[in-house]
Amino acid sequence: MSKITGDLSKEDRKMVNSIFLRSFTVFASCAGGAVKAGADGWLYSVQPALDRYYKGRPEDRADAMRRHTTWYNITQNVGTFAMGLVASMERENSTHDDFDTESIDAIKVSLMGPMSGIGDAIFWGVLRVIAAGIGINIAMSGSPLGAVIFLLIYNIPSILCRYYMTYLGYNLGTSFISTLYDGGLMKLITKATSTVGLIMVGAMTAANVRFSTVLSIPVQNSDPVLVQTYLDSIFKGLIPLAVTLVCLRLLKKNVNVNIILFGLMIFAFLMGLVGVM
Amino acid sequence: MLGLALMAWLTVVICYGGNWVLGQCMIERPIVVGLVAGILMGDIPTGVIIGASLEAIFMGAVNIGGAISAEPVTATALAVAFAVGAGVDQGTAVTIAVPVGVVTAFLSIAMNNVVLAFFTAPFDRMAANGNERGLAIQHYLLWFVKYAVFALIAFLGVYFGAEPVAAIVNQIPSNVTAGLNAVGSLLPAVGMALLLRMLWSPQLAVYFFLGFTVYEYLGMPMIAIAVVGVVIAVVSALRDKELFDMSKKAPAVRIEAASATTGVNDDEEAFFE
Repeated sequence: MSKITGDLSKEDRKMVNSIFLRSFTVFASCAGGAVKAGADGWLYSVQPALDRYYKGRPEDRADAMRRHTTWYNITQNVGTFAMGLVASMERENSTHDDFDTESIDAIKVSLMGPMSGIGDAIFWGVLRVIAAGIGINIAMSGSPLGAVIFLLIYNIPSILCRYYMTYLGYNLGTSFISTLYDGGLMKLITKATSTVGLIMVGAMTAANVRFSTVLSIPVQNSDPVLVQTYLDSIFKGLIPLAVTLVCLRLLKKNVNVNIILFGLMIFAFLMGLVGVM
Repeated sequence: MLGLALMAWLTVVICYGGNWVLGQCMIERPIVVGLVAGILMGDIPTGVIIGASLEAIFMGAVNIGGAISAEPVTATALAVAFAVGAGVDQGTAVTIAVPVGVVTAFLSIAMNNVVLAFFTAPFDRMAANGNERGLAIQHYLLWFVKYAVFALIAFLGVYFGAEPVAAIVNQIPSNVTAGLNAVGSLLPAVGMALLLRMLWSPQLAVYFFLGFTVYEYLGMPMIAIAVVGVVIAVVSALRDKELFDMSKKAPAVRIEAASATTGVNDDEEAFFE
């Protein structure tokens, strides 16, 4: 890991650490709403770099600040990469007169899509799902440990990633991301993480979507036949699986999620009302 | 009721506001909100169990790029308050929470997109003037005011809602209660489907069925299933890496392999799409 943090001077470290700490609040206020997204948090986070490199040049500093007021949105655990990168570009800009400041904005904008893609998939699609799956199982028995374990599983990797990404961005620059993409390595990473995610969602569907019917078919001179026993002998959890896949299919057909939510609510309610469930 | 309503307000401020000032650390998830509400309202087991049930339902609802389909914090806080303070049973409290989450999501979107847009001008002006101090003050002040005001929804909901809700719930006949409990059992399907949409691809879909079957028939704990999943992912990633390196060395093989995979793709897509 020392390779990632690099051999930075004490002053460099202080600045990068400050960016790392400030980045926790990046989406705290979102002044400007949909127009700006996290722009004000972004500016607040990279401010230590601007203050350092444009020290004693208030005109240039204000100019740089204005440059960083545009729309910003990257999954925040990986977005610190862009912050570190921009900090290093501002350093170049402050020492070279011919530096093209537009490239700073261009880099930031071009990183948003791909970085959010990786970040959302890994942190929300997989890590959070694993953490929640384990947490829910424990919490269902009423134990507060479930929430604590959920937070630990999610946050330890997430904070480490945020920290090293800041350094990585400051040290490596753009070459790193483009190597990952051009080589097609990113696809491998996405595939591996999706595999784990899908297995976990499968297990959680089995654990959390529940259906059991009390319906029975009366038989003369014998015990009534329980429908649930028959369903279980075909495949355990057949109905929950079917309901989940129908929801997925509707989502894929771009049916509004709230319609699906309320549709299923009404369906389940009627099932319970007439005594099927 | 005032004390309970204040606790609901505090829960939302801590969990929703705290989440966004602490790097989206997921304390806004129902599983955590349930615990916090349980501690503040003095019934930890009830809070935790309601939180866990709602977590499964709201699983797919994350704030991705500012677009949310449900806002689970107010929903969870209200559900726990109704269960603890108004004697509503847990299954019913969970069912009440779901529409609450959908409605507050609309309010949250309105707040974020419309109200906050008014701060565009001061933000731009302060940045252009290099006013770092002003920006920092606006950053934190706006954060606090935003969530303190938003949490009023939970306060009002408990203050005015708890007694009528309790009165209505106590009159409910038993088959309606069965219906409400059925809703709680099936609704997590939507949360799971939202996650699946994000991860689903025709080639990898089989792993979903693997996870389902392993839990249903073997009853393995989640952490063990996660380890099995990581093992499978690592093994197949190493193999993919080998193939990848080979195809880089021999471009001819690469084209062949690529056309082979697309062939399989078409078949499976027809089946799964």
